Amino acid sequence: MPTIEKESLIGKRVPKMDAPEKAAGRTRYVHDMNLPGQLIGKILRTDRIHAKILSMDTSAAEALPGVKAVITAKDMPAKMLGLNNDNPPLKGDKVRAERDEIAAVAAITEEIALEALKLIKVEYEDLPTLFDPRESEKEGAPHIQESKDSNVCMEFEYEHGDAAKAETEADFVIEDTFKLHYVTHACMGVSGVIADFDNITGNLTLHSNTQVPFLHKREFSEVLEMDPSRIRIIQPPIGGGFGSKLDIYPFEPIAVILAKKSRCPVKIVFTREEEFMASPTRQPAYINLRSGVKKDGTITSRVFDSLLDNGAYTSWGATIPFVMMQTASSFYRVTDCQYATKAVYTNNPTAGSFRGYGNLQATFAIEQHMDKMAEAVGMDPLEFRLKNAQEAGEVTGQGMHFKTCGFKECLSTAGEKSDFSRKFAENNANRGNGNPVKKGIGMASMLHVGGGAKIYPSDGCGTILKMDDFGHVTILTGASEIGQGSETVLSQLVCEELGVPLSAVTVVNNDTDITPWDVGVHASRTTFIGGNAAIGAAKLAKAKVLESASQVSNIPADQLDMRGGCIVRADDGEVIMQLGKLLRGMHFKDKAELVTTSFYYEPPSVHQDKGFKGDVSAAYAWATHVVEVEVDTETGIVTLDKVTAAHDVGRVLNEMSLEGQIEGGIIMGQGYALTEDLLVKEGRVITPNFRDYKMVTAPEIPEIDLSFIETQDGEGPQGAKGVGEAPSICMAAAVGNAIYNATGVRIYEAPYTPEKVYRALKGAVEAPSMAAE
Amino acid sequence: MSEIQNYETPNSVSEAADILAKGDVTILAGGTDLMVQVDAGRVEYKSTLMNIRRVEGLRGISDEGDHLRVGALTTITDLLESDLIAEHGTILTEAADAFASVQIRNAGTIGGNISNASPAGDTLVPLVVLNAEVELASKPNGSIVTRTIPIKDYFTGPGKTKKEDSELLVAVIIPKPAAGFVSTFDKFGSRPALDISTVSVGLGGVLKDGALTDVRVAFGAVAPVPLKATATEAATEGKKLDEATIDAIAATAKDEVNPIDDVRATAWYRKEMIESSMKKVLRHVSK
Ligand SMILES: Cc1cc2nc3c(=O)[nH]c(=O)nc-3n(C[C@H](O)[C@H](O)[C@H](O)COP(=O)(O)OP(=O)(O)OC[C@H]3O[C@@H](n4cnc5c(N)ncnc54)[C@H](O)[C@@H]3O)c2cc1C
Repeated sequence: MPTIEKESLIGKRVPKMDAPEKAAGRTRYVHDMNLPGQLIGKILRTDRIHAKILSMDTSAAEALPGVKAVITAKDMPAKMLGLNNDNPPLKGDKVRAERDEIAAVAAITEEIALEALKLIKVEYEDLPTLFDPRESEKEGAPHIQESKDSNVCMEFEYEHGDAAKAETEADFVIEDTFKLHYVTHACMGVSGVIADFDNITGNLTLHSNTQVPFLHKREFSEVLEMDPSRIRIIQPPIGGGFGSKLDIYPFEPIAVILAKKSRCPVKIVFTREEEFMASPTRQPAYINLRSGVKKDGTITSRVFDSLLDNGAYTSWGATIPFVMMQTASSFYRVTDCQYATKAVYTNNPTAGSFRGYGNLQATFAIEQHMDKMAEAVGMDPLEFRLKNAQEAGEVTGQGMHFKTCGFKECLSTAGEKSDFSRKFAENNANRGNGNPVKKGIGMASMLHVGGGAKIYPSDGCGTILKMDDFGHVTILTGASEIGQGSETVLSQLVCEELGVPLSAVTVVNNDTDITPWDVGVHASRTTFIGGNAAIGAAKLAKAKVLESASQVSNIPADQLDMRGGCIVRADDGEVIMQLGKLLRGMHFKDKAELVTTSFYYEPPSVHQDKGFKGDVSAAYAWATHVVEVEVDTETGIVTLDKVTAAHDVGRVLNEMSLEGQIEGGIIMGQGYALTEDLLVKEGRVITPNFRDYKMVTAPEIPEIDLSFIETQDGEGPQGAKGVGEAPSICMAAAVGNAIYNATGVRIYEAPYTPEKVYRALKGAVEAPSMAAE
Repeated sequence: MSEIQNYETPNSVSEAADILAKGDVTILAGGTDLMVQVDAGRVEYKSTLMNIRRVEGLRGISDEGDHLRVGALTTITDLLESDLIAEHGTILTEAADAFASVQIRNAGTIGGNISNASPAGDTLVPLVVLNAEVELASKPNGSIVTRTIPIKDYFTGPGKTKKEDSELLVAVIIPKPAAGFVSTFDKFGSRPALDISTVSVGLGGVLKDGALTDVRVAFGAVAPVPLKATATEAATEGKKLDEATIDAIAATAKDEVNPIDDVRATAWYRKEMIESSMKKVLRHVSK
């Protein structure tokens, strides 16, 4: 009899399942979709920044031939969007930001819809504006959200130990203020939705780019005052999702109400300018840090205080202080920590969720601050970090339990492979030589959730697994594919259990009427949570199959295995029977159920308590990036030559997609550090295009040397941890440290654009301050 | 939105001039400026859109004895790959190399770059340094009339030139420089590809014994039009290019410009970068 060796796809270089259709341009995004009878919806945005709406006249727009519906605030249910219930989908009384939606039109063509917008007449009375979060915070500042009693929209405070007392035990106290800028997601696929009512049943189908279909469905039902079971969300392939598709935004209920009023499907797709102006940004921040350190390099205390610019409306993103807190309290061994972050309303663009969720800002500050502390005590930055780094088994002051922790391995691997310490000292010594182009090396690390995140009441995911009578497997999962490659990795995990080739697997993951619940794609959680759910369902299926095979073959089930689409004897791989044949037998003779279901809800450990103590994730990811730069002191241009990165990924599941994820994240982090700068002047985005908003282009991408540290997390799917956000997090800090190494000038403000660096080298940049002038 | 009533595709300069004579025409060459400007709502199509890409004889570079003739439809890639340009106007080859990206270089034309008249247009500074002239054609009374204008006098403001609406830019005339002529271009932007010049500097002259004569200097993106820098030229003329002289010339260059603040840079930084670029090009040619 033939035999089959056990073959595993785990750790292999498996191309993403959707790669061929994407490469061939066959993927149909929401932009490409058109439903019969569909109208085009367009939104009228205010031309003011902060103003009372005195009157609005839509009669001329309504009269324009081809216009099928015109709506204003009066047509919307009275519900607000947003975490703070502060964002009316259409603004009726008052506008607070450049993006503000005041009316919308559905028409038979885009041109007519745009023409109709021009016919809408609005009268305003301007109100005083606030563009500086430090001013918003002040007593007596005008209230942007008039129903709230202050401009503070979110406030987090936390402490462990006694930082004030611990500070007195320090030999050095270092204090710094850092400032972070606006960046935006700039997804290739802009925001878009098609709302489609079944005019007979009244059921609503949304073809939506969302990253969180199940939460969306619930929020829609609240905002639209609809029965949630009448709402179905279908996700066409998503052209990039880095958090900008985590909330429900005004354009979505607007499309629904337009569809309702016109009784036709309505499609709204943003223009690129709209996307730049009206999709959420990363929070700009002021961060003040004060840390105590002893002569021997032990950190004694840390006080972290920060102020975030929320814009005029509150998204889920306003909860980023929750993540920043972990970096402040638990990234290094800090016995005494005091932490406070406020997000305040301004008339600036609305901030939201963005890959890394506050951790880019926190890490930018902390990791540069760490270099300053190392310098104060006369230690090499690598040695100083190794001294204070967390280890496996540690429970931090905040109560996070690091069951696996590759932090020190990340530090030493990236440090050694880049020859960090030697180059660091050499560049230091070379600073004074006459060469106008200076070389610098800088290091930064990061801690992030790697095993889901307990932010919502549940962080779970369900899987239904179906085997047909030919041995084909369909995975129905709540976990969405947003380009990160989840379909492929979930399939690999199922193949590993069921011994079927990848070609025998189909993933269905984009329809809330079909797939089981999932909380959504965020927090680097899909591989971990969705993966464990898929493994659970596959294990159940395997048990059923082997039980049945055992009955047919008279070999005990525990001596059987599934390999190469067959049932084999586990010890020598001898083929007993074809899987398809067995399944047909089960299918037609038995009343065996060839559908299994499972769910994974990360270890049912407790949530954090009210004081934020306790675990937030089942596992934690670690990474270190060493960057090498050249600073042209005659122009301020910083060239990123090389990144040496080491990531604790738990275990490599798919080497190729892991590389893709990490390289992509590094480049996103590079943009944050060096080029991307969404300039906002008096509340208006003045760089709403790819000419002026500079994404990293191909020739700027550095050489990248990646190492994967495999800590085999006990809870992870095949030992893996989540890595989705990790690679973008510590780039800006590392670049800041490298510029300092090259030039001896510390720049406390990102991004490191040529003019800013040049000014700083000329001593013409003032250090940021938490207090407004 | 403006409506295009007629779409015309003339085959000859004469036909194109006839269409222009009727008035209210938008000329389309590579479209890399025009389409972007229309999409952004900054420009509206006139009632006739005239695509000139089929006009015969408008594309290509020819050797006409004492000068080169560069047809208006010559693409930036054509410039980059031309041996004639490399021989007689290295500065233009360098500018073509620093221009946009391969895709844009394949579509964008020299005529479009000149007609768009952006102070940051990358062929303009080199053409000023090369003492180029533009040739315009029209049909005022039923027969073709051409005139030429020195490029240094051609621009009147951002997006504005001396060309009449009835005229077509047909060619650029580049006189062959004297033996020993060297030239170079430095485009300063924040990234290596797909960037609009924050400032640009062009330098040309006849190099002998470490000094330049017949010096020509032009700056881009520091004034409403490409700037012919006469003070900097005078400061360079005939001087031995040692480090101290280079610094002094660069300081003159910095004083000669009076740029503005915009999203790409402040005026202060532009002046600094003119100084640094000026040093770079002087060092480059004197080596
Ligand atoms: C992504 C991108 C990057 C770019 N990068 C650069 C860069 O690095 N450097 C740079 O200088 N430019 C750059 N540009 C601008 C543009 O590509 C150039 O200006 C190009 O040379 C324009 O040529 P075109 O043939 O495409 O002009 P078109 O867009 O066809 O025309 C431009 C204007 O000139 C007029 N016109 C064209 N030909 C004639 C003619 N023969 N007679 C009379 N009028 C005419 C048109 O009516 C129009 O007003 C960039 C553009 C884009 C989209």
